[in-house]
Amino acid sequence: MSLSRREFLKSSAAASAAAAIGMTVPAELEANANAAESKWRWDKAACRFCGTGCGIMLATTGEGKDRKIVAVKGDPAAPVNRGLNCIKGYFNAKIMYGADRLTQPLLRVNDKGEFDKHGKFAPVSWERAYDEMEKNIRKALKASGPEGVAVFASGQYTIMEGYAAQKMMKGGFRSNAIDPNARHCMASAVVGFYQTFGIDEPSGCYDDIELTDTIVTWGSNMAEMHPILWSRVTDRKLSDPDRVKVVNIQTYTHRTCDLGDFNIIFRPNTDLALWNYLAREIVYNHPEAIDWDFIKKNIVFAAGPVNIGYGFRRAGEKSLTPVRPDGSAGKYDAKEMEIYNKEMSKVVSELEGPALEPYGYKAGDIMNNIPGTLKHHEISFEDYKKSLAPYTLDYTAKLCKGDPDESLDSFKKKLQDLAALYIEDGRKVVSFWTMGMNQHTRGTWDNTLSYNVHFMLNKQAKPGSGAFSLTGQPSACGTAREVGTFAHRLPADMMVKNPKHRKITEDGWKIPNGTLNPVGNQHIMKIHRDIEDGVVKFAWVNVCNAYQDSANAKHWIKAAREMDNFIVTSDGYPGISAMVSDLILPSAMIYEKWGAYGNAERRSQHWRQQVLPVGNAMSDTWQWVELSKRFTVDDLWGPYTLRNGKKLADVREAAYKMGYKPNTTMFEILFANERAKKNYPLALDQFPQKGYDNSECIGDARNVVGTDGKVFKGYGFMIHQYLWEEYASFGRGHGHDLADFVTYHKVRGLKWPVVNGKETAWRFNVNFDPYAAKHAKENGRGSEFAFYGPLAKALPFGNLTTVTDKKKKPLTDKAKIFARPYMDPPEMPDEEYNLWLCTGRVLEHWHSGTMTMRVPELYRAVPEALVYMNPDAAKERGLKDNDVCWVESRRGRVRARVETRGRNRPPKPLVFVPWFDERVFINKVTLDQTCPMSKQTDFKKCAVKIYKA
Amino acid sequence: MKILTKITIGLATSALLFVGCSSTPAHTNAKSNASVAQPTITEANLGYRGTDDLLKEDVVPPAVAYHSAAPGSSKKFKRAYQDAPPMIPHDTTGMLPITKDNNQCLMCHMPDMASSMGATPIPVSHFTNFRPKTEVVGDEILKNGKVIKNTSSEKLANVSINVDKGEQKLYAGRFNCTQCHAPQATNELVDDNHFKPVYTAPDGDAKSSWNQSKWLKDINTQKSE
Repeated sequence: MSLSRREFLKSSAAASAAAAIGMTVPAELEANANAAESKWRWDKAACRFCGTGCGIMLATTGEGKDRKIVAVKGDPAAPVNRGLNCIKGYFNAKIMYGADRLTQPLLRVNDKGEFDKHGKFAPVSWERAYDEMEKNIRKALKASGPEGVAVFASGQYTIMEGYAAQKMMKGGFRSNAIDPNARHCMASAVVGFYQTFGIDEPSGCYDDIELTDTIVTWGSNMAEMHPILWSRVTDRKLSDPDRVKVVNIQTYTHRTCDLGDFNIIFRPNTDLALWNYLAREIVYNHPEAIDWDFIKKNIVFAAGPVNIGYGFRRAGEKSLTPVRPDGSAGKYDAKEMEIYNKEMSKVVSELEGPALEPYGYKAGDIMNNIPGTLKHHEISFEDYKKSLAPYTLDYTAKLCKGDPDESLDSFKKKLQDLAALYIEDGRKVVSFWTMGMNQHTRGTWDNTLSYNVHFMLNKQAKPGSGAFSLTGQPSACGTAREVGTFAHRLPADMMVKNPKHRKITEDGWKIPNGTLNPVGNQHIMKIHRDIEDGVVKFAWVNVCNAYQDSANAKHWIKAAREMDNFIVTSDGYPGISAMVSDLILPSAMIYEKWGAYGNAERRSQHWRQQVLPVGNAMSDTWQWVELSKRFTVDDLWGPYTLRNGKKLADVREAAYKMGYKPNTTMFEILFANERAKKNYPLALDQFPQKGYDNSECIGDARNVVGTDGKVFKGYGFMIHQYLWEEYASFGRGHGHDLADFVTYHKVRGLKWPVVNGKETAWRFNVNFDPYAAKHAKENGRGSEFAFYGPLAKALPFGNLTTVTDKKKKPLTDKAKIFARPYMDPPEMPDEEYNLWLCTGRVLEHWHSGTMTMRVPELYRAVPEALVYMNPDAAKERGLKDNDVCWVESRRGRVRARVETRGRNRPPKPLVFVPWFDERVFINKVTLDQTCPMSKQTDFKKCAVKIYKA
Repeated sequence: MKILTKITIGLATSALLFVGCSSTPAHTNAKSNASVAQPTITEANLGYRGTDDLLKEDVVPPAVAYHSAAPGSSKKFKRAYQDAPPMIPHDTTGMLPITKDNNQCLMCHMPDMASSMGATPIPVSHFTNFRPKTEVVGDEILKNGKVIKNTSSEKLANVSINVDKGEQKLYAGRFNCTQCHAPQATNELVDDNHFKPVYTAPDGDAKSSWNQSKWLKDINTQKSE
């Protein structure tokens, strides 16, 4: 049906006029206005991008292969975003349609068509690609055992993809060398949660924004990185501007600061001191503000070692040998070693000296470092109080003030005003943070320090109050954390090192007891280092860009290209990781497959496949399941000896006793098993499957030729539902309850734990969390809270420097307040490298830009990564806007253009460079320092010099 | 678009054999391709770095130039698709940042000013708040005064809609204009995009049609049940 322009104008004018005055539109006119859309199919989905987890409505039109996305709108029914998206959210419409989508496997070959690591790429079939993968995995297993096969995993995997990868890696290959890019993004938040609550993920939910009086952001540019949450903050602030206060605590001024009542610009890493200053204000100057009843019922105080290094390689590792007289070591030159040597020992500086005094160090002392450890012990409140003593207003202000152009008095007044807001009786406060506190050389400490302040004031896990970690990626919570695609984790907060957890998982997967590998130490930087050391021989990049997103990138690229190994990248577009690889696989993108994501407020959201993938692209789930067909019981389940001497048992006999045969494939055991086929049959005539494509289960109109050289016709059962339900079975009844698969297709997400069909808004609070209510009843302490997380819930006792009583005392249902000092990062500006470099994102681009750089509107909004710097700092270096400069560190340099008037406005000592642009490859410059406890890289600070190019 | 051309050529031979070729059994194609596969694609053909050397230091993108026409005198961009947020066609120097005390966009784009300024008027969707009022009383969560079990469990028919009919008071959640609307540089694209908009309204490339008649129309996604 078509309408003339005149008819159309008439009807649409009437419709908008009617809307404006709140009238009902006459039915006939409305019908006309909507006629042109009648062939569109609208369906709900989750946004592809950040951790906010907005709901979108997607329109598609066309038949079969020709069905395409034509529009996106904000979903008015989605509780997260209520009809509004940010610019990236709207342009989900275009992300799958870049001209250079990968459509075919590409393999490096020589002129004879044989694999050649030094060859150029040639298109090959899925079968040929999988032959090469299989061959190289066998080679890696032979050379290094399970530790030689690794996966760079993702916080952007769908939940089912992550679960499939986890099963094949840990259950099939018995390798724990699977770790997500989420390690770079929220590992410190996770360890903070485990240490404080004994269980992962936030107490609060986004409704806190509408319910609070005070929003404090710490190291978080929410306006650009969580725009829809910022829109909610803005609504809250502007709707009650006198009562509602917004304070931003950052290392440079950015868009989030534009809404602030006041902003605190601090010297990088000194947020540790700011939190301790707030705690000191409470304990020393406002003791009446401490809720002692809450503390006595719910809290213990704790401390651990401070000499834990910076997560670098340690002396003696293969690539650090031999040490040469010129200071260089192995593959690292003398300049790099100036910083790496601090991993073993360092001199305590004048800045950190006072903060370390309660821990037995003073300025000038040599601190000998041990490897990072999670160990901690209970201490007395008096010792905790002692740890706070150094953070006087004078010391804190001098240490922390980050803008030399601000007066000390002005800075001090802000600190006092901030403390007053937190402490004010009856004032609700939410503290939000993202990468500033997580990508931090003491990220775990920083996270735990935030809870201290909220706990003492009893402003945690309550509507409108709490410290709230905002996660970066769309399913860092849902997949990386909840599914457990980390080296050390199993589903639902279980750990590979815990024998009970391994047994539960093995039983759930119907694999022999003793199959799972108990050693899970190959975190993402360790995988890179293991490739450089020649241990990892096969690595597969999934839904991330591991060679663009990792700090000190030159080393990892050289290791991948120059050593004997086989690197595979699965992606929608060719990024740096694809260029580094030996084999590139074309992946189906987000709306070309069924999926589910879990956001930062514990909300799980599902969507259906909207269109067919392009070319011969297939989903990552399919790629994992296909790989499982290539390996049998006898191939993988024999005995192994790990690097540390630990033995993995031969479980083949046990497998035979379970009914498996020597040649039973992992496909038959882990994926297409009897229970999957029986319990999750296709139901193509029923909701939610009816009318929707399902490439993995029934094949599709493209007739893709699969990994066996035959047209792929589908697995014949509802594998997405099987993977979801089996995964969910591990968490039900254990505080991670998820609803059933079909329910999620009817709702706009639910916040777990979902108990008796009801979601949980505030965890640990007996009024809202049935698990808290149950635990509080059992422990009989009469508290409104129960911090029931089970990890590290019995501790030895000691003081700030040592353990005095090794006997472990239980602390059932209690949370912890940790004594943790300010410490310097290992690299700070000096005379030569005289600026701080901070890296991060911009609103319009996602991560390494593979999707967003291919959307014209997003590309043209920010066509390249600029060096955002202070105008005076630029002038001092003879630079003006759009000039090309070098940004150089001890590790490498890049060229980029200067911007002094942009959205990011740093103080003189700091520059900000985003990392989305593969031309401005800033991770060649950054330092692979990590929080030594969480192993999360600190991308927010290192030292550089800048000069005209 | 040199880079693209190269990769397109590289893939062309395979595309003939793989994509959309249904007259012969596909697996034979795959096999035969394996034997003829020629190494033609290099790092420089992938992505937009434009070099085979991943360690090369002196890669630098071109200068950035945004459209410089003054507000009111610029040519408006077509909307990317029906009801997509329009991009900013004019120079924004001196207009940003938007602060809590100063939003210069509103001066020209509020509906009562827009036509006289030649600016795109802010549509009715921006004077509409879909977020129900949230309260907590005791252990109950209330949305618009009603106790709810789940934030998702409201009936779609009950989705909250609060329109400022006079279009005077912008919904404050839409105060940060640059969250959706961005200035555009004139830089050449690094890659084409094959998305094709379908405008359902004759003026759909210039005007929002997302008004009251459409807000709730398609949000029931269980129709096939």
